[in-house]
Amino acid sequence: MLRIRHWIGCLLSSLLGSAVYAEDSKWNMPYGVSPLSHEIYNLHMACFWVCCVIGVMVFSVLIYSLVKFRKSKGAKASHFHEHLGIEIIWTTIPFLILVALAIPATIVLMHIHNTDESALTVKVTGYQWKWKYEYLDQGVSFFSILSTNQNQINNLAPKDKWFLLEVDKPMVVPVNTKVKILVTADDVIHSWWVPSLGVKQDAVPGYINENWIYITTPGTYRGQCGELCGVNHAFMPIVIRAVSQAEFDKWVIEQHALAGTLQQAGLKNMTPDELMKLGKTEYEKNCAMCHQNTGEGLPPTFPPLKRSRIVTGPATANIGFVLSGVPGTAMQAFGDQLDNRTLAAIITYTRNAWGNDRMIENRQYTVVVQPQDVEKSRHAGR
Amino acid sequence: MSEAITAHHPDDHDHHDHHGPESGIKRWLFTTNHKDIGTLYLFFSMIMLFIGGAMALLIRIELFEPGKVLLDPEFFNQMTTMHGLIMVFGVIMPAMAGLANWMIPMMIGAPDMALPRLNNWSFWLLPFAFSMLFSTMFMSGPAPSFGWTFYAPLSTTYGPPSTDFFIFSIHMMGASSIMAALNIVVTIFNMRAPGMTWFKMPLFVWSWLVTAFLLLAVMPVLAGCVTMMLMDRHFHTSFFNAAGGGDPILFQHIFCFSGIRKFTF
Repeated sequence: MLRIRHWIGCLLSSLLGSAVYAEDSKWNMPYGVSPLSHEIYNLHMACFWVCCVIGVMVFSVLIYSLVKFRKSKGAKASHFHEHLGIEIIWTTIPFLILVALAIPATIVLMHIHNTDESALTVKVTGYQWKWKYEYLDQGVSFFSILSTNQNQINNLAPKDKWFLLEVDKPMVVPVNTKVKILVTADDVIHSWWVPSLGVKQDAVPGYINENWIYITTPGTYRGQCGELCGVNHAFMPIVIRAVSQAEFDKWVIEQHALAGTLQQAGLKNMTPDELMKLGKTEYEKNCAMCHQNTGEGLPPTFPPLKRSRIVTGPATANIGFVLSGVPGTAMQAFGDQLDNRTLAAIITYTRNAWGNDRMIENRQYTVVVQPQDVEKSRHAGR
Repeated sequence: MSEAITAHHPDDHDHHDHHGPESGIKRWLFTTNHKDIGTLYLFFSMIMLFIGGAMALLIRIELFEPGKVLLDPEFFNQMTTMHGLIMVFGVIMPAMAGLANWMIPMMIGAPDMALPRLNNWSFWLLPFAFSMLFSTMFMSGPAPSFGWTFYAPLSTTYGPPSTDFFIFSIHMMGASSIMAALNIVVTIFNMRAPGMTWFKMPLFVWSWLVTAFLLLAVMPVLAGCVTMMLMDRHFHTSFFNAAGGGDPILFQHIFCFSGIRKFTF
């Protein structure tokens, strides 16, 4: 008898021990830096402890009965049928447990959906395979694209610390401010998922889902797309930089200045070398996910640009395709996404690379596209 | 029965060839015997388990360490899509149907299933359905790579051309399931031996009766869902396309409604 008691004691302590272990381990849900993530974590732990207690009680009775009433000890099964009292008890207790769990869960859900009194609104749009952030009141808008090098993905270079979790332009928010997040998508369903902020909000085309973040600690927080959205689903991370209000204001001013500079630069002509250099970097960032670094694409979904009839055709038609995209396909309207300088550089690069320049010269079209050509096409398109 | 035959042919000593199953492949192609069909279902399920399992191994090899290990992202997604569909429609459902075919007639004291030829057809649709599904792997352009839940619009507007074959193979799997379920319901209702009352029926038969009704209710919904996908892809409808007034969430509602049966097993 003593041995059995010892054994049950061991079992109990190991069950509770695993629960204690889970609370502070990296395998558990993160506690996070937002009131929401704290609430979700606490709810999760409360449910977890309820499960632990139920598990310990059920398995204790079960194991005790197995040992105590075993056949070799001459136990005889009783033969009663139907016991109303027991039926009522074992229906009522689970019902009460479920209600007891549903009440705090509902409270947390209501907090998640309560976006009132937010000081800042950011619209997040999922694209195949990047995120667009629009600060509706500040007039700042930009795309955030994976900045991990293709060589690291293909194991040709050592992976850095934030492999597949680094972007070129992070989303910047002030700390201790309630930021309303409006989440939607442009093409397929994505999901904006940042565990340490307690947010996983589906981005559905045609819907605008609301959520909010309130970051208490300055720092950088990372997340990923949480809904399979196509071949490069793993390559559209989310990076959020939480800074002080003063720094945030400075950042907004910088963004405005940057937009002005880009607009100015869009009016100047560039040398072919400049265009090619910028074009190669921007092509690898914006286009290579589908059309590949080799320009060979992944046909038929992502057609090759090498020897493409459009890329080796007249420059104006080529610009038009890039500006307006091809409806119903994965080719997006890049006119809304990139500035004239970048577009001109990318188009020039694609018209020069992979032997396209020879084909274009044979057909006597122009190889180099200038920012102003793009600007003209924008107006012609309208 | 054998007495009756003997009575009709008392002198026919060479008359052996009409007894027992046909020989060779014909036995399996044309069989209406519930045990033969059950065996076919179970072997089919096992083969699919190995194929789907091999795909799962490929997925795990790719996830063994960060960065690209063995598969392209496109092929990885094809593997997850195929693995999911094969495990649900190629392993679990045929395994259950195989057990049902073997066990239910014996458990309720019936000589065979109520509709033996339908039974044959509902099995033999499956190899064709899965051949069609596997054929997408060899088509130009990727095989379906949008996950086994094939959420619109990733599977409609952005789906590869092979998606149409995927849709048709799901239609065939659905038809097979509906016929198997129908057969089970009719067998349980009409073929019970005298004295086998409802409440003497074994629990396995009861659970299959309930499951078969659920399948009958739910498979047409899944078929409707993939038909709507087909319409969206080719006939300019907008069931799941927000730009045309449709609703991508509608797909999830319909799909998850048909998904409940997977949990009832």
